[in-house]
Amino acid sequence: MPKHIVRLIVLLVGFVVVALIAKSYFTDDSFYRYGHYRADSVPEIAAQEPAYQTPRYCRDCHSERVAQWSANNHKTVSCEVCHGPARGHPQKGKLPIPADVVKLCTLCHEAMPGRPGTQPQIQVATHNPNASSERQCIACHNPHSPKIKGVVAAVTGNIAEGKKRAAVCAGCHGPDGISPNDAWPNLAGQNAAYLVRILAAYKSGAEKDVMMTPVAQALGDSEIQDLASYYASLSCKEAPSAPGAGDAVSGRALAAKNCAACHGETGIGTNPAWPKLAGQKAGYLTNMLKAFRAGLRKDPMMAGVTRGLSDADIANLSAYYAGQRCEAIPEGGTKP
Amino acid sequence: MKPDNKTSFAARRAFLRKLGRTAACAGAAVGGGALGVMQTVAAKSEPASSQQSSLIPDYDWTKHQWAFGVDATKCIGCLRCVEACKVENNVSRDPHHFRTWVERYVYLEGEDRPRIDSQHDPVNIAASGSGGEYRFANRYQDAKVEKAFFVPKLCNQCTHPPCVQVCPTGATYKTVDGVVLIDHKYCIGCQYCVQACPYGARFFNYEKHVTDKCTWCYHRITKGLQPACVEVCPVGARIFGDLKEKQSPISQFIRNNRTRVLKPETGNAPNVFYVGLDKDVL
Repeated sequence: MPKHIVRLIVLLVGFVVVALIAKSYFTDDSFYRYGHYRADSVPEIAAQEPAYQTPRYCRDCHSERVAQWSANNHKTVSCEVCHGPARGHPQKGKLPIPADVVKLCTLCHEAMPGRPGTQPQIQVATHNPNASSERQCIACHNPHSPKIKGVVAAVTGNIAEGKKRAAVCAGCHGPDGISPNDAWPNLAGQNAAYLVRILAAYKSGAEKDVMMTPVAQALGDSEIQDLASYYASLSCKEAPSAPGAGDAVSGRALAAKNCAACHGETGIGTNPAWPKLAGQKAGYLTNMLKAFRAGLRKDPMMAGVTRGLSDADIANLSAYYAGQRCEAIPEGGTKP
Repeated sequence: MKPDNKTSFAARRAFLRKLGRTAACAGAAVGGGALGVMQTVAAKSEPASSQQSSLIPDYDWTKHQWAFGVDATKCIGCLRCVEACKVENNVSRDPHHFRTWVERYVYLEGEDRPRIDSQHDPVNIAASGSGGEYRFANRYQDAKVEKAFFVPKLCNQCTHPPCVQVCPTGATYKTVDGVVLIDHKYCIGCQYCVQACPYGARFFNYEKHVTDKCTWCYHRITKGLQPACVEVCPVGARIFGDLKEKQSPISQFIRNNRTRVLKPETGNAPNVFYVGLDKDVL
């Protein structure tokens, strides 16, 4: 072979050798382990810490709240959808409780073309325009148990039949549905749908009361309807407004913030499934609010509302609603 | 030719000869070394089965084949998936860079083509209040809508990914368990893969100067969690699971529904399976 060719070949081989050495020097050790990529990048990517921790993470400390949430309609909405990712909680502080709930709730519940019909949707402009703006949604709906209880079909009881049955009730609630005792509620003029709901709850055991449970268990479904119609038909005009120990002026401010969206500014709400509060006995209102707060009466909505109330707040609220006139004409007709 | 020229030629020839010999010797010397190098390289390219299970702690990627399902009939367009994805994966909170996104298709009366918008539409940015929050504006509430629906989209983690094919540095690759990942150390930011993806699933991260895209939350699924978007979806429109497990949500979803993939004609064989798509969804 001519010398110059040999030289060229030798130079070429030298070049290839240097290139191979350089390549092996610069290529990551794991590069060809599984293919044309750096195998070590896989565990590097997998090592990232998850931000969203799933409801299992919340359950250990917030078991009560998780139990309520997981038994109700929002159970498909994970905790961290509203409260944000739980990475670093509780060590790095609290998770946010959403401030602008209207903005948050309407993300899913604003009526919009394209949303499936099975999704509960509202017309934002017309859905309960009475409520104060910033607490609009959670004033009526408990976010952990959003479905409002007690949507009752029209009450079709017989008033005359109800009057006969009412003899049993008169002992405590008064012959005209005006209770002689501050701790027992007036029934005259109360919403029939609410009376049906609460009697049915006592009957079924969903709510318990030493006095009311045996009474309600003795009633048939049609008798409950008759009684409710009868008491709803009575006039509550003569209800003496006994202002309790609380301060009705501070009660008014509290009521506007916490209660008015469902029960109305003056204690007369728009939904007949919820009780009228105007002119109700102050002692009874106080007892009930405390029972809701303690969980003795089971209503997720009321439990949420009463959670933040002090004994003084409760006394003020009771004084305010007890002092309202119950015969006022309800604002608006049906719930929008 | 002058005699001094002759001597200079001879000297040059002698020098080159010496150089050649030295090179040959050096070549012989390192030749053995080079052989060794080539053996190591060859050994590296063989799958080392013993190392596979220890690649990621408590996870064996040969035992999984991940797949994703989207039920467009359930999606309500709340964009919680987009929000969660941004937080989970540190995606910049501007309205134009997304690992996952949701498209809204609206057919108005008398129009034969849908109007399509997504969260980065200016009207939707205005409705959300800022570029860092995401919501669909109720812009069609007074229009005569014939038909409308939402379609969540994300990386299809194709079986034959064109983005991997074009990467010049081996920075993007398909894992054994079926996810296309990006090695940000090896990515040189040339953006060939962004061009190659027919679904627009990749975007360029100008802060890190690398390409980014959905990984099906690889750091979550290798720990036994669901991807963040699946975790937060309130209506179950996103389904994720292991195809090797016959009773997994995704296996049942594919078995029980007439699913389709996006742009099947490209031959990429996507692994995101859709239900309830209109013919106009590409």
